[in-house]
Amino acid sequence: MTVTTEAAPPRHSADEKLKAERMPFGRWMRLVGWRHVVAVIMVAWALFPALYIISLSLSGGNTLTSACPPDRSGLAALSCLVPNKIDFSNYSTLLSSDQYPFVTWMKNSLILATGSATGALLMGAAAAYAFSRMRFTGRRMGMLSLMLVQMFPAVLAITAVYLLLTRILDVFPAFGLGHIWGTLLIYLGTALGVNTFLMKGYFDTIPVDLDESARIDGAGHARIFFDLIMRLALPILVVVFFVSFQSTFNELPIASVTLSDSQNTTTAVGLASLVSNPLIQEWGLMAAGGVMMAVPLFTLFLFTQKSLVTGLTAGAVKG
Amino acid sequence: MATVELDKINKLYDNGFHAVHDLSINVDDGEFLVLVGPSGCGKSTALRMVAGLEDISTGELRIGGKRVNDVDPQGRDIAMVFQSYALYPHMSVADNMAYGLKLRHMPKDKINERVTKAADMLELTALLDRKPAQLSGGQRQRVAMGRSIVREPQVFLMDEPLSNLDAKLRVQMRAEISAVVRSLNTTTLYVTHDQTEAMTMGDRMAVLKAGILQQLGSPGECYDTPNNIFVAQFVGSPPMNLVTAKINQAGEGLELEFGGSKLAIPASVLADRPALKSYAGRTVALGVRSEDMEDASLRRNETGSTIKGTVNLTEALGSEIIVHFTFPGQAVVTADTKLVAEDAGGEELHVGVDKGVRWVASFAPRSRVRMGDDIEILVDVERVHYFDAETSEAIRG
Ligand SMILES: Nc1ncnc2c1ncn2[C@@H]1O[C@H](COP(=O)(O)OP(=O)(O)O)[C@@H](O)[C@H]1O
Ligand SMILES: [Mg+2]
Repeated sequence: MTVTTEAAPPRHSADEKLKAERMPFGRWMRLVGWRHVVAVIMVAWALFPALYIISLSLSGGNTLTSACPPDRSGLAALSCLVPNKIDFSNYSTLLSSDQYPFVTWMKNSLILATGSATGALLMGAAAAYAFSRMRFTGRRMGMLSLMLVQMFPAVLAITAVYLLLTRILDVFPAFGLGHIWGTLLIYLGTALGVNTFLMKGYFDTIPVDLDESARIDGAGHARIFFDLIMRLALPILVVVFFVSFQSTFNELPIASVTLSDSQNTTTAVGLASLVSNPLIQEWGLMAAGGVMMAVPLFTLFLFTQKSLVTGLTAGAVKG
Repeated sequence: MATVELDKINKLYDNGFHAVHDLSINVDDGEFLVLVGPSGCGKSTALRMVAGLEDISTGELRIGGKRVNDVDPQGRDIAMVFQSYALYPHMSVADNMAYGLKLRHMPKDKINERVTKAADMLELTALLDRKPAQLSGGQRQRVAMGRSIVREPQVFLMDEPLSNLDAKLRVQMRAEISAVVRSLNTTTLYVTHDQTEAMTMGDRMAVLKAGILQQLGSPGECYDTPNNIFVAQFVGSPPMNLVTAKINQAGEGLELEFGGSKLAIPASVLADRPALKSYAGRTVALGVRSEDMEDASLRRNETGSTIKGTVNLTEALGSEIIVHFTFPGQAVVTADTKLVAEDAGGEELHVGVDKGVRWVASFAPRSRVRMGDDIEILVDVERVHYFDAETSEAIRG
């Protein structure tokens, strides 16, 4: 929603802006103002849980309500969104605990997310290049089946994945159940569908003349792919990388089956385990972990947001 | 440098469309050959087969005497200028030119030397660091040329390289490309739908219609002795004037009758083209170039054959006056004349039969004809063209 409010003003020229200022309030409200109201409500809606988690993580307490002393109720409870204490004990506990190896979780999550985003990018781009630039028998069938397969959520295959990984454990332990490399393979397997379509749509908008020109200049497919297509399609590549990264990073159902040992699992599964036992619920630790988990995603977003906007809209229009 | 030989080349697209039929052309070493024809006639297809971007269905292509049907584009040692220029948008002008050389692992200093030389030749030196998006149309065109030049290939291929420029720039670039290519003396295949480019730039031109070669010859040959009605109308501006005429026996000789006028066919022409005799009593399509007509009032003393017409329009150009006139007669309307008219942008070349035939003549500037005048036009009967009314082929020999 913030995008709406930011995008709206440039549409009006300076003259119109002057007029808008002279407009009666009711009219201004009807034409422009309501967007601000909607935006503010949406921002508040989105920020509420984030602020509460931050506040809770800094409270030093370990229950759901420790951020908010019981004496505050009604509207006064809203002030709990601002940390009333700055206590990093939850963070230090989590980072040093042997029972909850948060650093390992984070490392696993980062490896999985980076690996599967990179893999999705390369495989998806290669497939999209083939679909966009080559004519081969089975091209149509290939695209249709990709589309069809990606309509089923990956979780549907969970029993099959479980059996598969148990078997692999016998012959190739590093890629078996309970090891991140096995899980990475599963993630890579689910990565192709949407990404391939998104990228093919974008590749199609890059003129074929460029490929042909490069072929005459002496480039083979690999050269064309890396020197031209991958460069010119950068915005969509950023989108694919970011989307794959964040969905893997946050993925819970598959990882909770394939990496069920809390000593060697992902952040998402690990944090869920903090509160899933009805007898021991570590809400404070979970909040601190959630905040730290947001840091990599947030950083990545800051670096890529410009390409994200152009890439997403381009993919949407041309794809 | 090398010869390019197209030997009975055919192109059948996957959808069954037969785009190029039995095309045979030998391009000499260092020759500038123009492939010309209305859009959709298969020029690009032919060029792309030479480049290796399109498979050759049947026939043989030889570059430098070597069969290259199965050689991929990078192995053919050719450079191509695309209609869209196809510059790499993310590379600077210098990198665009150097890319092909880098891929061929040429040493850096040698690359620099070539790029600098080409940039100098094309006046691109100040623009070497710019990206294509920061260039004007004419500059992009030059970069595309430069990219081909630095490669120093055996053959240049150009597909309508000027069609994205405005008219004035086109004339300028036409001269520049000609000059550059001639100074390099590289074999060049140039595709265009603009007959002016073909006439002014080519050593020879190959006129194509619907994938079939109509005529291959110097611009002068194609203009002066067109093989058929299509070439006659397509080559030259304005197109050749045509009328349906009857050939009658007149004593020993023959005479032409059309639109109430009678023109005797000179004995010299008959000696040249004995085949005309067999057309006695039949109709032919008669063609007259605009410059082979003159205002009869300027040539009182000359005894020539004249036709009568009414002036519709005059355009005084200083060096000549273009006169559009009509006379009663039967226009030649074939698939070819329609095609040419369409290609010229729907220009009305022939009015209905009741309004007669509309011709365009170019008179000496001294002529005083005005719109609406009834005038007599002197026709140079030695230079009249004859075409078979059924086959559209020129009547020769
Ligand atoms: N890939 C293709 N598949 C089928 N037909 C094609 C293909 N490319 C071109 N054509 C057809 O071949 C004919 C010649 O095309 P082209 O060589 O591009 O003509 P032009 O002389 O204008 O360059 C056109 O009628 C075009 O529709
Ligand atoms: Mg073309």
